[in-house]
Amino acid sequence: MKTVLARRHVLGLVAGALALPAVRPARAADAAAAGARSFVTDFGRQLIAIVNSDRTLADKKAAILPLLQAHVDMDEIGRYCLGRYWRAATPEQQARYLALFHQVLVNSITDKIGDYRGVTFTVSGTSPAGGDQAVDTIINRPEQPSANTQWIVSTTSGQPKVVDVVGEGTSLRLTQRQDYASFVARHNGSIDALLHAMDHQVAAHGAQ
Amino acid sequence: MRAVTGSNIPPSPPSAFVARLRRIALVTAGLGVTAVAGCAAPPPKDPEALAEYREANDPYESLNRKMYDISMTLDKYSLRPVAKAYVWAVPYRVRQSLGNMVQTMNEPVVFFNDVGAGKSRRAGDAFVRWCVNMVAGVGGLIDVAKYAGYPHHDNDAGLTMATWGVPSGPYLFLPMMGPSSFRDGAGYGIDVGLSPWNYVPSGYGLLTFNWAYNIMGVINGRADHLDALDQLQKDALDPYATIRSAYQQQRKAQAEAIGNDHRATVPDWYN
Repeated sequence: MKTVLARRHVLGLVAGALALPAVRPARAADAAAAGARSFVTDFGRQLIAIVNSDRTLADKKAAILPLLQAHVDMDEIGRYCLGRYWRAATPEQQARYLALFHQVLVNSITDKIGDYRGVTFTVSGTSPAGGDQAVDTIINRPEQPSANTQWIVSTTSGQPKVVDVVGEGTSLRLTQRQDYASFVARHNGSIDALLHAMDHQVAAHGAQ
Repeated sequence: MRAVTGSNIPPSPPSAFVARLRRIALVTAGLGVTAVAGCAAPPPKDPEALAEYREANDPYESLNRKMYDISMTLDKYSLRPVAKAYVWAVPYRVRQSLGNMVQTMNEPVVFFNDVGAGKSRRAGDAFVRWCVNMVAGVGGLIDVAKYAGYPHHDNDAGLTMATWGVPSGPYLFLPMMGPSSFRDGAGYGIDVGLSPWNYVPSGYGLLTFNWAYNIMGVINGRADHLDALDQLQKDALDPYATIRSAYQQQRKAQAEAIGNDHRATVPDWYN
């Protein structure tokens, strides 16, 4: 009897030991998904509070900027968007490019959400996307069809940061990268031409 | 007694004549293909540039860019102002209803393509949407089916062929029709053939309705993209490449969504 019990214990331990590695990654994945979910919920809540407020457009933009800097990995997105030309660029060009890229990105985001009021959003689900987490949200804007938007959250920098936004199957950073790649290729691979165009773009936006 | 229809059709031409016609058609088609192939730029030598070239999948870029420029210029002076006036004059709710109608009237095409893709549940959804919206939704003006748990889904012959594993082929920018590919362009032709509205008999005002429906559909569709397209042309450094990238990604995502829909056709209680 005793031996049977002992054997059962041993068997249980072995089975437990076998099951443990399988359980642990699942738990880790759940935790990562929950973390990404709460991160996007929190970020979205703060963003929408600003958008729906009664402030002027300029005030809204000023309030959104620090929020984006804290939650979006703009340097990482910028490097991705320059693609193979990032390595070809000199350190000065890289620094100038990143500074311009920040402004272009912020302008583009604030333009999109700009004057809306009464925006609501719901987080619908989370799924792994490579090493990152993809958080699905539905954004409802007044008098506009609702938009399914996916937020790609990466933790490679130590804390969760948004590295991409996918709307209706279109990745923001991939589209931007192909835009820049095509522009540079059509200007004989000149990164200065790209920087000049971005400069122009930022100046034109400020003049509006 | 002679049949009333087709009374002016000439007797069938002799076979030699048909053979000559066929030869001329072949030569013309061959010339066309050579002309298009002549426009294709040679792929670059540098491996990274080559990877970029393959990612863009656009060997006819110079021709496509010409088509893009022509289309955008025409759009600027014709369709865009019309769409802007339409948005200005017609309230949002009315535009939404007309959009619903255009979508419902296209539901048969979605249905046939769902059947073609072998997705019976999706085909059922499209069928239910058509029946519910045509009756309870007053000819499609109200999307009742959406509230009954049957939201709209997209499908067309290009996507159906994608689920069969047909590659997209090179990217194409079709004048006044926008971004496409060899596969999707052929799919568009198939969709025209699948739409019951293209078989309406003359009389009873049906042809007039069909024209009005098609023109309205084009204006309504353009109005839906007014802000997005304006913003894209302002924000992008190379709008042509941005549209190309967005189109290719979106088509891929749509085809994947169809492929990943494994919902069963049998009801839950049966399992």
